[in-house]
Amino acid sequence: MWLPNWPILRLRRSGAASADVPAATVTSERGQRRLACVCPLAAEAGLRVGQALAEARALVPELEVHEATPEEDEAALARLAEWATRFTPLAAADTPEGLWLDIAGCGHLHGDGKGGGEEGLCAAIARRLAEVGFPARLAVAGASGAAWALARFASGNPVSVLPAGQERAALEGLPIGLLRLDDRSVAALRRVGIRTIGALARLPRGEVSARFGPVPVLRLEQAFGAAEEPIAWPMPARPWEETRRFAEPIAAPEDLTRALAWLAGRLARRLEQEGLGARRFVARFSRVDGVVPAIGIATARPVRDGAYVLKLLAGKLETVDPGFGVEMVALAAEARGPLSAAQAALDGKPDTAADLAATLDTLIARLGEGALWRPAPMGSHVPERAVGRAGPMTEVAWPAQLPDRPLRLFTPPEPIDATAPVPDDPPLLFRWRGRVHRIRAATGPERIGAEWWRRTPDPTRPLHDFIRDYYRVEDQQGGRFWVFRIGLVGAPRWFVHGVFG
Amino acid sequence: MPFVPRPLAPAALPAPAGLIAQLRRQGAAAARPGLGMGGAIGGCLPGGVLPVGALHEVGPEDGAEVQQGAVVAGFAARLLARLPGGLPWLWVAGREDLYAPGLVALGLDPGRLVLACAPDEAAVLAAMEAGLRGGAFAAVVAEAGRLSRIAARRLQLACLKHGRMGLVLHRWPYGRAAHAVEEAPSAVTRWRIGGVPSGGPFAPPRWRLALVHARGGVPGEWIVEAGERDAAYPVRVVAELADPAAAAQRRGVG
Repeated sequence: MWLPNWPILRLRRSGAASADVPAATVTSERGQRRLACVCPLAAEAGLRVGQALAEARALVPELEVHEATPEEDEAALARLAEWATRFTPLAAADTPEGLWLDIAGCGHLHGDGKGGGEEGLCAAIARRLAEVGFPARLAVAGASGAAWALARFASGNPVSVLPAGQERAALEGLPIGLLRLDDRSVAALRRVGIRTIGALARLPRGEVSARFGPVPVLRLEQAFGAAEEPIAWPMPARPWEETRRFAEPIAAPEDLTRALAWLAGRLARRLEQEGLGARRFVARFSRVDGVVPAIGIATARPVRDGAYVLKLLAGKLETVDPGFGVEMVALAAEARGPLSAAQAALDGKPDTAADLAATLDTLIARLGEGALWRPAPMGSHVPERAVGRAGPMTEVAWPAQLPDRPLRLFTPPEPIDATAPVPDDPPLLFRWRGRVHRIRAATGPERIGAEWWRRTPDPTRPLHDFIRDYYRVEDQQGGRFWVFRIGLVGAPRWFVHGVFG
Repeated sequence: MPFVPRPLAPAALPAPAGLIAQLRRQGAAAARPGLGMGGAIGGCLPGGVLPVGALHEVGPEDGAEVQQGAVVAGFAARLLARLPGGLPWLWVAGREDLYAPGLVALGLDPGRLVLACAPDEAAVLAAMEAGLRGGAFAAVVAEAGRLSRIAARRLQLACLKHGRMGLVLHRWPYGRAAHAVEEAPSAVTRWRIGGVPSGGPFAPPRWRLALVHARGGVPGEWIVEAGERDAAYPVRVVAELADPAAAAQRRGVG
């Protein structure tokens, strides 16, 4: 994407420059004030980049002059790249006046009513930018260099999409200046009569390299998609992270603990300012040899107390191998949630919820995040799916009455050899895990079918394969089991699904 | 000079040391909250109740129950459901086969139960201790095969300090024979429970419940059956099994 005259566009957008007056930015070059960027109005009036300011003033007396501020331009471009991440996760600034957008696979997500695709996406970007006063030019191509050249090559349509594999044909006639070479190389190439990209492409690469250095060949390859272009995509900001670097690597556990304490304290202060807490804290230790061991803790409720976080982390610190030393320690707060300032209950009773959260946190630190849960009822009559998991702090409401269910449930049910009178009586005896259980009492059957909204119709399996007839049986020793039968005709199969307590 | 009877100083009373110790124990037990177990079973327990701030062991009889642990879990659930206070319970196990809908019929609200899965028995017991130390759970149940003396002592101290009940259910992995349960005198009571045939197809289930060891109490063995969901006691005694030695000992105490 190309944003021609970005410095002036930016100044106009911020209100520092007026829109209908020729404008230019100037920079001091070897003691002389020269134009660095000229707006289209000024260019029409005959001004060009590199002209001396005095000469420009003489040509266009009403010229509006601004000091060039490349750092601010870059920062503004980076902000624009961040804005562009709404269209694609990969957006990077292409200084001085462009953006790289990797829209591979993003086209179908965007676009206006007329149709999506890459063209629609680009049109949407261009329209939005035009609304805020940035006349952007976009080009889509399979190779970064081709997109760069096409975006800058003047044509009526602000959006051009190049089908894959046509880079060479499209770039053949474009001037050599669109190859992202410095002025000296362009001038040198022009001197020997190479004016178009196609002319350069026809020359033997080796000779071009020998004469003009490796850059022209590299740019050519990048334009044709033969060479990869490394683009520094900005990493998503991790604002809830505190880092500390050390001049000398540290390795002693006490030092690591101290570093963590410092980071946890800083993070806690920041979280408190925002009224936030976090349910997960991850500490990363960047070792001198490039390995980054990490430890993490999770808590049942959002917390931000630095000392508390440190206590939980310290329990895992022994698993960190500092190797030859740790250069940098980072502590990140993840899964943030609102946490207002705590107030002790006025009735003087101990805060049982806080006690529970603290105990659960130590248990989570010990057993892992997924190892603690509360059973939660699920809307299914199939025994295996009737129970879900809720967070250990969640209040779960269970019905007060449920059909009789076993205390231990085997998933999957275990097949048994059962002897049962046909057609639908409970078994007389069954063999399970090498023991024979003779049944002395049984109740049932309770028929439980598959969930009709889940079952995929399978014509090869009969319908009664999805129906279970459950019996509660008691054997001679007093053991009570939940067994079921699948299949009514032929050879029914028997399973034990649970044991009653 | 007429003879005036003078009261003896209490210290001068010759008292058997054993009696003093027993009275103290009973006094301490009475002061601490306990769980009513009914007349017959309570008679074997010091103070007539199952102390709450203490460690208890429940083991299975032989058979498949050693691995299934369903009957011991049912007994534990019936105990938990009768603990006072609205605090949640923690249940730590190495396997995830405890089926919450089955607890509802035993009177235990699964919504107040926090389940935890630990990779091995040492982690199970360590998690149990951590759960007891917070004091945030009314009781902590752990399923473990072995309970060493040191682990039992640590757990008993944690129970005592925070006044919470600890229950260790002895259960072994499938395919492994049960080890003899090590004598862990730190547990305040040790129970053994196994199924016996019930009265009929619709009759409540019955078990043989044995109080193998009770600190300050005497052993006993009963045939018990499940009471109503909201019955005052976890189980109802159907028959007391004759144990002459135990009966004689109980007479001596009572």
